[in-house]
Amino acid sequence: MMGMFRKGNKNKKKKEKIDIILNGLVIFFAVLNLFPLYWLFTSSLKNSSDVVKMPPDWFPKTITFSNYVDVFNNQPAFRWAFNSIFVSLVSTIALIIVSCLAAYAFSKLKFKGKNVIFIIFISSLMVPKEVMIVPLFRIIQDLGMVNSLNGMIWPNVATAFGVFMLKGFFDSIPDSLRESARIDGASEFTVFYRIMVPMVKPGIGALFILNFVQVWNDYLWQLVVGQDENSKTLMVGIATLMQDLNPNFAYKMAGATVAAVPMLLIFIFFQKYFTSGISIGAVKE
Amino acid sequence: MFKKRFLALTAAVVLVLSILAGCTGKDPVKSNGESKSKDQVEISVWLTPQWKGVMDPSEEGADYDSFFKYAAEKFSKQYKDHDVKVNVQVVAGDQRDELLNVNLNGGTPPDIFFESVFAMGDYAHRGALVPLNDIVDDEAKKDITQNYWENVTFGDDVYFYPFSHMPGTLAYNADMFKAAGLEEYLGGENEIKTWSLADYEKILKTLKTDLPKDKYSNAFPMALYALNNQADTWNLAYLRMFGNEFFDGKGNLVIDDAKGEKAAEWLKKIYKDGLTNPGVESVSSNDVNAMFQNQQLAISFTNSVLFNNAKADMESGKTPKFDLRLANIPSESGDPLTFTYVTGAAVFNTEDETRMKVSKDFVKFFSTDPELVKASKNGVPVRTSVAEEFKAEKPLFEAYDKNAQYMFNFTGNVPGYSQLRQVLYPELQALYTGQKSAAEAVKSYQESGNKVIEESKANSVIFNK
Repeated sequence: MMGMFRKGNKNKKKKEKIDIILNGLVIFFAVLNLFPLYWLFTSSLKNSSDVVKMPPDWFPKTITFSNYVDVFNNQPAFRWAFNSIFVSLVSTIALIIVSCLAAYAFSKLKFKGKNVIFIIFISSLMVPKEVMIVPLFRIIQDLGMVNSLNGMIWPNVATAFGVFMLKGFFDSIPDSLRESARIDGASEFTVFYRIMVPMVKPGIGALFILNFVQVWNDYLWQLVVGQDENSKTLMVGIATLMQDLNPNFAYKMAGATVAAVPMLLIFIFFQKYFTSGISIGAVKE
Repeated sequence: MFKKRFLALTAAVVLVLSILAGCTGKDPVKSNGESKSKDQVEISVWLTPQWKGVMDPSEEGADYDSFFKYAAEKFSKQYKDHDVKVNVQVVAGDQRDELLNVNLNGGTPPDIFFESVFAMGDYAHRGALVPLNDIVDDEAKKDITQNYWENVTFGDDVYFYPFSHMPGTLAYNADMFKAAGLEEYLGGENEIKTWSLADYEKILKTLKTDLPKDKYSNAFPMALYALNNQADTWNLAYLRMFGNEFFDGKGNLVIDDAKGEKAAEWLKKIYKDGLTNPGVESVSSNDVNAMFQNQQLAISFTNSVLFNNAKADMESGKTPKFDLRLANIPSESGDPLTFTYVTGAAVFNTEDETRMKVSKDFVKFFSTDPELVKASKNGVPVRTSVAEEFKAEKPLFEAYDKNAQYMFNFTGNVPGYSQLRQVLYPELQALYTGQKSAAEAVKSYQESGNKVIEESKANSVIFNK
C-alpha cells in the first residue's frame, strides 16, 4: 500500500516536472511570438535613429508620441481607418451571406452538375488575385467604381474561399436533421436559416476573422482602386507616408501599430469562434 | 415568414451599405482626367513625395501637393485655350509602378507624372510617354546645362522637362575623422571634398585602427550595402572607380574587363579587411543611413535631400549631433565620380490630343515660370539662373555646380534599367559572401544585364524607331 502510494507520488512529481517544462516552453514560445508586437509598439515610441541603434534599446530611453501625432495630424488617417473598417466589414458580411447560401446548396441540396460546379468554384482559388488585377480593374472602371469603396468591396465578395470553408461545416451536420425538419413541414429556407446556420456559427466566426484580415491586408487591390486621398484605406495610406529617401522607421512603426490594432481587437473578440471553428470544420459525419 | 424577413433584411443591409460606399466615391472619369467639353479640360498630375509647400516646407499647411496645386491655379488663370482643372495626386515611390501599370493597362494613365527620371525611363522606352521637344526652347537649353538634358533624352527626344536634381555623393562624420587624427583630410563645411584613391584607402585604414573605441564603440569606417535593388547607384559608381565606362555606345554593359574586375576586387578587399560595416549582403541602404546617423559609420552615401534631412534631424534633436560634411567618390584617375537624379515632368500618351496639348502647356508653364522655378531650390536647381539666385542662401549649390563636370549618367538611359537593378545586387551578394570571385561576379552581371537590355531593346519604341 505504502509502496503504491510512493510510486503514485513519484509519478505525480514526474508529471509536475514535465508540466513545468512544458509550461516553460509554452511561455517561451508565447514571448517569442509576442516580441515582434512588443518591438513594433516600443519602436513607434522612439526616434527614427533609435529604432536601428546597435546595441538596441530594449525599452525606449526617451518616449515620444510625435510619430502618432504626425500620422493623425498630417493626413486624413481617421478617414483611412474608417474606409478600412467599412470595406473589411461590409465585404465580410456580404461574403458570409453569399457563402452560407452557396455552401449549404453544395452540401445538402441535390442538383445536376453539383460536383462539377463545385470543382469550378474550388479551381478559382488557385488563380492568384494579382493575375486577375488588370481585367478586374477594367471591369471596375467600366462600372464606375474606381475611387469608391464599392470597387474595393464587391470583388472581395466574389471569392470561393468562404464556400469551400463553410461546405465543410455543413457536411459535418447529419443529413437526418434536415430530413426530420423537412418531414415536420419546414421549408428549405427555414431548415437553412433556423437549423443549419446556427450550427455552423463557429465556422462563420472563423470565416469572419479570416476574411476580415484578408480584406484588411488587401493592399494591392485597394491601392489601384482607391487612388484619391479620401478613398484610400489605412494600409495604402500608411504606405504612402513612406518616402524612399527619408525612411523614418519610427513613423513606419507608428503607422503599422495603428493598422494592427483593429486586427488584434477583431481576433480577441472572435477568438472563441475562430479556435473552435478551425477544429470543427475538419470533422465529418 | 422567416424567408421573407431574411431576404428583406439582407437586401436592405446590402443596399444601405452599397449606397454608403457609393457616396464615398468619385466619378472615375473625372478623376482620371477625361475631357468634359471643348472648353473644359481636366488633367491629372501624379507625383511621388518631393518637397512640402509651394516654395518652402515652413509654409502653413505645406504638403507634397502644395506646389502643383498652386501652379495649377496660376496656370488656369492665365490659360486662354481651355478652362483647365488639374487633379493632383501624391503616390508613394513604391506604389508608383503598380499604379502606373494597372492604369496603363486599363487605358487611364495620368496625364503628367513628376518623378526622378531614372525611375521613369522605362516608360519612355515602352512608348507610354510623348516627346517634349516642342516645348523646350533655346532659353531653357541655355539655362539648363547639357548634362541634365542628356539625362532626360532618350534616343533623339526629350521625354522629361528637367526641374531640379539631387546629386549623389559621400557624406562623412568630420568629428570621427578628427577623433582618428585625420584633420588633414577634412574639407570645408560647404565643400565637396575630393580625395585621391590612395588617400581614401589611408582614411579607411586609419578610421579602423585609430578611432577611439570608448567614444565610438561598434563603429566602422565605410558604408556598403547589397540587400536589395536599392543597392545600385552608389555601387555602380564604385564599380567605375578604376576607369570602367560601364556602358558602350550601343547601350550594352561593358563591366567585364580588367578595370571592372579591379573595382569589384577592391570592394571585396575593403569588406574583407573590415573597413566596411559587416554583413553587406544583408544590409540595406536604409540600414546604413541609420547607422551613419547613429555614428556607427564614418563615411556613408548621401544625396542632397538625405543630407538636408540628416542636418534637420540633428537640429531638431531627433538624431545625435555631429559635424556632417560632403565628399566625392574617389577614383584611381584622381577625377571624382558623381551622378545625379534629375527630377522632372513627363507627359503620358493618353491618346487624347487636347489633354496632351494642355498637359504639355502646363509642364512648360511650371518648368519655366520665373516664380515657380524657384521652388527647385528645395532640391538642387537645374537652372543656372536659380542656382545663382540662391547661392548666398544655399552655399552648397555652388559646390554641386562645380561638381557637375564629373557627372556620369548612371542609367545610361538604357531600356530595362529597373530590371537591371534586380540583377546587380545578387551578384554583389555573391561577391561579398565569397560565392563568386570578382571576375565571376562582373562576368555574370554583364551576361545577365545584357540579356535584360537585349530583351528590353526589342520592346523599346526608341530602339525600334
